Amino acid sequence: MKNDIFNFRRFGKYFGTDIRTCWANYGLSLLTLTLLTPVALYVIVNAFNLILESSWDGPDLGLRFAVFCFAMVCLIVTMPVKCYGKLTEKQYGTFWLTLPASKLEKFISMIIITCIIAPLAGILLYIGADALICAIDHTCGRNLVQGGIHFFQNWSELGHMTLNLVDETLTIEDAALTKQLLEQINSPMLYIDEIFGITLPFLLGAIFFKSGKTVKTILALFVISSVSSAIMAPVVESWSHELLANINNDPNVILSMFNNGLFKNLVLLDTISDTVINTAMLVCIWLRIKTLKH
Amino acid sequence: MITIKDLGFAYGEKAVLKNITMNLEEGRIYGLLGENGVGKTTLLTLLCGLKKPQRGSIDTDGRNPYDRQPSLLSDQYYLSDEVPAMNMKAADYAKYYGKFWEGFDMDKFIEVMGVLENDPQQKMNQMSFGQLKKTYIAFALACNTKYLFMDEPTNGLDIPSKAQFRKAITKYTREDSIILISTHQVRDLENIIDPIIILDRQDVLLNATLEEISQKLYFDYSSERMEDALYSEMVPGGNIQVCLNQSGEDSKVNIEALFNTVHLHKELIKGIFNK
Repeated sequence: MKNDIFNFRRFGKYFGTDIRTCWANYGLSLLTLTLLTPVALYVIVNAFNLILESSWDGPDLGLRFAVFCFAMVCLIVTMPVKCYGKLTEKQYGTFWLTLPASKLEKFISMIIITCIIAPLAGILLYIGADALICAIDHTCGRNLVQGGIHFFQNWSELGHMTLNLVDETLTIEDAALTKQLLEQINSPMLYIDEIFGITLPFLLGAIFFKSGKTVKTILALFVISSVSSAIMAPVVESWSHELLANINNDPNVILSMFNNGLFKNLVLLDTISDTVINTAMLVCIWLRIKTLKH
Repeated sequence: MITIKDLGFAYGEKAVLKNITMNLEEGRIYGLLGENGVGKTTLLTLLCGLKKPQRGSIDTDGRNPYDRQPSLLSDQYYLSDEVPAMNMKAADYAKYYGKFWEGFDMDKFIEVMGVLENDPQQKMNQMSFGQLKKTYIAFALACNTKYLFMDEPTNGLDIPSKAQFRKAITKYTREDSIILISTHQVRDLENIIDPIIILDRQDVLLNATLEEISQKLYFDYSSERMEDALYSEMVPGGNIQVCLNQSGEDSKVNIEALFNTVHLHKELIKGIFNK
């Protein structure tokens, strides 16, 4: 009896084909976005510097990082539509639905490619191109990888540095608080689950809406966030009022809150809420795949 | 065997299929005929699991097509009337996707492409509609599936290709397969389809083999007018007339005349064939 739910051999075949199809549909856009963008930025900034200041000076790390983030957002927003948006079209959707692989295999492949492979490929290609530019022209300063390492090293050192400032600008309590705050919010989970949080809604939008997929997804996110903000705002407001009132009355309360891992708990809360939202998104994507008809 | 029982399907308020009951048996090439909008494509998409029956059931050798189980999907192929133009060569398409169908035979694909005079090295998104259709026909036949559903396969094919299609469908399909071909152009499929299913609005008007049809209806090709003809049409060199076969004489079934007869005398034909 064949396994109709999940078979590793069949999944391997399907995953390979899915990657190939995505590459055919999105490969050129991916290369343009990740390889051409840093080059274009470098050329434009140098051209402006030459014209305005008569100097050869590449884009600094901050600008390059901002453009890198923008390129990654563009990738995340456009990739699902290009790779899976055609599932809602009769021609391709019919072909995809009748392809002999299970719904679970198709679902897992879709999630791996959209949430892991495409962002990872985009990041690696972009920072590779950036590193190459910075290696050729030293006016750019640190490349994105070096800049990132430097940032995180400083991040963890910042707390220790604050202790050195005691008696100059900070009290020992201030320094201890800053150190604790920095340590508590320096959690990788805070950033990793955000990748899923951004990609999954756009994947769902790509396979849910029949036209205007990206615009409708953005509008839907806007509506959902407005509604959830309207619901949550009074709760957060009363909580913050209470917190501020406590602080005003007794500054030691905030210290005890830090000592009790306030930010650590907030990070945990953020991770839990992201996990719940991402799980809901995954369920919606699964249901859409399961019930897709043509 | 495919068993369809009390099948019903509607688009919103508009019922397309209602209480459809029939069996599709192995080793036959069914011709699915009907006017525009009677639900031929809907029936095909229900049979291959692209839609969920709203009423009744479809049983494909013990499996429900809507479950889209890979074991069933790899034993069936649905050739849609609109096919996607992939950004790859036809041979690459066959190589990459053929492996999902257990019985897929690459040599057969190349052979059928040759019969249909199509170039496997041509990119699919650079093909004409007819060439693209022929590529998918070759792929469908090379999959060697037991269940083959084709929606208007001869649409977009030129005259020689239609003859090549008839040749390919008889030569390259399995003995035990169940093939269901929907078409408007009955002449394209004459001599290969048997039995014939004629759909009307929400209903099956006829589901019979050519043998059963010729036992019950007589097709006259003489120039003499018949008084009791159910249907009569002038053609160059005489008439095609259809009447009840009361003498038990054998005649060659003309599918177009049959289709028109069935539509003119729906209740009579249903009564004769449902006896």
